[in-house]
Amino acid sequence: MSDRIMTGVGRRAVLGGTMALGLGAPMVARAQAPVQLRWWSPQTAPAQREAYMFQIRTFEEANPGVRVAFEATSDEGYPAQMAAAFASGQVPSVVTHLPSFALATYWQNGLLEPMNDVINAVGPQNYYDGANRIYEITQGQYCGTGIGNSAANMMWLRRDLMQAAGVTDVPRTWDQLRDACRRMQRGGVFGAPLPYGRNSMTSLIFICFVHGAGGSIFTPDLQVNVENDAFRNALEFYKSMRELCPPGATGYSWGDSLTAFVSGATATGIYTGRVLANVAAQNPRIADHISCHRYPTISAQVPHWTFNDFPSVMIPRQAQNMAVVKRFAAHLFRPDGYIRQLHAAPGHVLPVLKTISAMPQYQENALINKYRAAVDLMSESAAAGHNLGWETTRHRPNVHAGRIIASHVLSEAVQRYVINNEPMTQVVSVTATRLAELMRA
Amino acid sequence: MSSSSLPAAPSHPSRRAATAADRAAVNPLDRGYALLGVLLIAPTVLIFCAVIIYPLVSALYLSLFSIFTPTLAGSFVGLRNYAELAGSPEFWRSLLNNLIWTVLTLTLQVVLGVLAALMLNQAILFRSLARSLILFPYFVSTVVAVLVWRWLFNDLYGILNHTMMWAGILDMPLDWLGAMPNAMVSVVLVGAWKYFPFVVIAVLARLQTIPEQLYEAATIDGAGAWGRFWDVTLPQLRDVLVVVILLRAIWDFKEFDLIYLLTGGGPIIGTQTLPLMVYKEAFGMNEMGRASAVAVAMMLVMLVFMLVYFRVLKARGEEPR
Repeated sequence: MSDRIMTGVGRRAVLGGTMALGLGAPMVARAQAPVQLRWWSPQTAPAQREAYMFQIRTFEEANPGVRVAFEATSDEGYPAQMAAAFASGQVPSVVTHLPSFALATYWQNGLLEPMNDVINAVGPQNYYDGANRIYEITQGQYCGTGIGNSAANMMWLRRDLMQAAGVTDVPRTWDQLRDACRRMQRGGVFGAPLPYGRNSMTSLIFICFVHGAGGSIFTPDLQVNVENDAFRNALEFYKSMRELCPPGATGYSWGDSLTAFVSGATATGIYTGRVLANVAAQNPRIADHISCHRYPTISAQVPHWTFNDFPSVMIPRQAQNMAVVKRFAAHLFRPDGYIRQLHAAPGHVLPVLKTISAMPQYQENALINKYRAAVDLMSESAAAGHNLGWETTRHRPNVHAGRIIASHVLSEAVQRYVINNEPMTQVVSVTATRLAELMRA
Repeated sequence: MSSSSLPAAPSHPSRRAATAADRAAVNPLDRGYALLGVLLIAPTVLIFCAVIIYPLVSALYLSLFSIFTPTLAGSFVGLRNYAELAGSPEFWRSLLNNLIWTVLTLTLQVVLGVLAALMLNQAILFRSLARSLILFPYFVSTVVAVLVWRWLFNDLYGILNHTMMWAGILDMPLDWLGAMPNAMVSVVLVGAWKYFPFVVIAVLARLQTIPEQLYEAATIDGAGAWGRFWDVTLPQLRDVLVVVILLRAIWDFKEFDLIYLLTGGGPIIGTQTLPLMVYKEAFGMNEMGRASAVAVAMMLVMLVFMLVYFRVLKARGEEPR
């Protein structure tokens, strides 16, 4: 038995009947009311909101009778909000900036509209090669499309502190990173802001370390792959870095980790290019002393692995006025608005359209110009990036990735080993079992 | 004494009902009144069914299914959700956390609340102002309160760590929210701070109605301050404290936002209570059926509390309130 349970149908039927009886007449009277679209995004910094408002305004002007409302969600809160929206049928029209692996889960359950029309409207030839590959879970159909790229595990360094500590070279390996952090940790400044909280950031960043140790969470055919040296080495290194992170790192998520570096509380950082805008706005004193690099790995032989959450655009299948919604989704890529959106956090969300990257309007940005090398490095790294939904080019898409992140299995593994000092064997074994259960569910 | 002066024997209920029915059958006015009675009580019954019975039955029903939250699609699994919960260490740990949180924060709230109420009942300077200010934590939004406390607890910028280090109590900043048992202690303290004004309001109102003569009599009998509190104030407060403790126990047991925003249930599941587990199962894991099973289990625990409460009252010869 795997059908829709009666409660759902019954409740909807009753609600529908009530609506028809009680609200039928007014709805006829309101037939000419404007078409209302709802746009959700977890990227809601003030400058980004301003860019969104511009995009909404230009769309409304071009489409009289259409109104678009922007509604904020969050990186930690969107799974709950989306689940409730889908369950109630009160879905947003368009959702942007969710990680690609979240879309895979929704697509798998028939909750999303294929984005082929939107991609065609934007122009498939305008995207970077393979930019939408991660969304092609079903052959020939795209569950979403990229609205940007991100390189979330870039290493940010304070060159002034390095110099003061006598660290001459940019760390390439974990040992070098730990040594550099140890030497720079003094006078109230900590070495690194690695997250140890029970949240998505800890899970996602820890996955980077597993890859940095030469491993992966799953094999290419999606078997659990944590009972090995790579996973153990990643845990061991992560634990060894704890003393070089602020005490409160046990609760750090994205915002805390970012603030720790931007405020000058740590000598290194791990984040996207949002660091650039935040340093410029909040701590310009260090603006000339920061540099961006790929995050070290266990040894120089292990290649870098960049975490790209592939910020996306998706349309729930239950959305009303689908033609208008798709038009709006395509409108988000119109150069005037899209460039404003990208400039709202330069280097944080990187363009997925090569036509945009090449435009002088995009290039002419003070921060992008000032940190040209960093932005280029992030763009290059993000283009080759992956995430748990698609760990390497050899991996099959993992439609359970969103659920795994939401379960906190990986961040709990970090906490068990680092904070609770539970034995490695036990932590790895429990993690493997729980991952297998989640994959089976 | 003549038989006519004896009080009438109480009529049998069935006989009374029959008489009323007979009257209604023969008297159109009575029939109209009966119908009016049904009509008047109907909205209450309907609302009761809609807001109490329907969610209750829904939760029980859903707990028998495995349901994917976003689609509400699922399959009947019988009691499997309950069996899995019974064998889940996470469930038992969450229940234990729930009990620890409820007992500790409630105890603190009552102690602080009674102390504050006693103080505010005295003729102190700026009493009106103090009475207004002490209610502030209760009225401030939980989100705002938690944000403020998170800043106070912050390891790098928090005034709590700074003050303690300045005073020489700590050498290094303390991790208030990310390590155990600090996290539970912090959550309990913030919970007590947030909700003790409710106890103050209730207790202060009762304190103002205790007759002054009782204290005068006690003083004449040689009772000191402690004696007057123990033998006069506390017995007078007992009724209101029973109600306050019952209400606060229920509210604290199902507290979600404060704990979720402060620690998210971490470290690991060190501060995860059952409401947080319901949320995680329903919207993190998209397992609405299992979430409903946890919710039903919560309800059963609350039911046990209620039964204990009624039993204690009965043992004291009082009627349940």
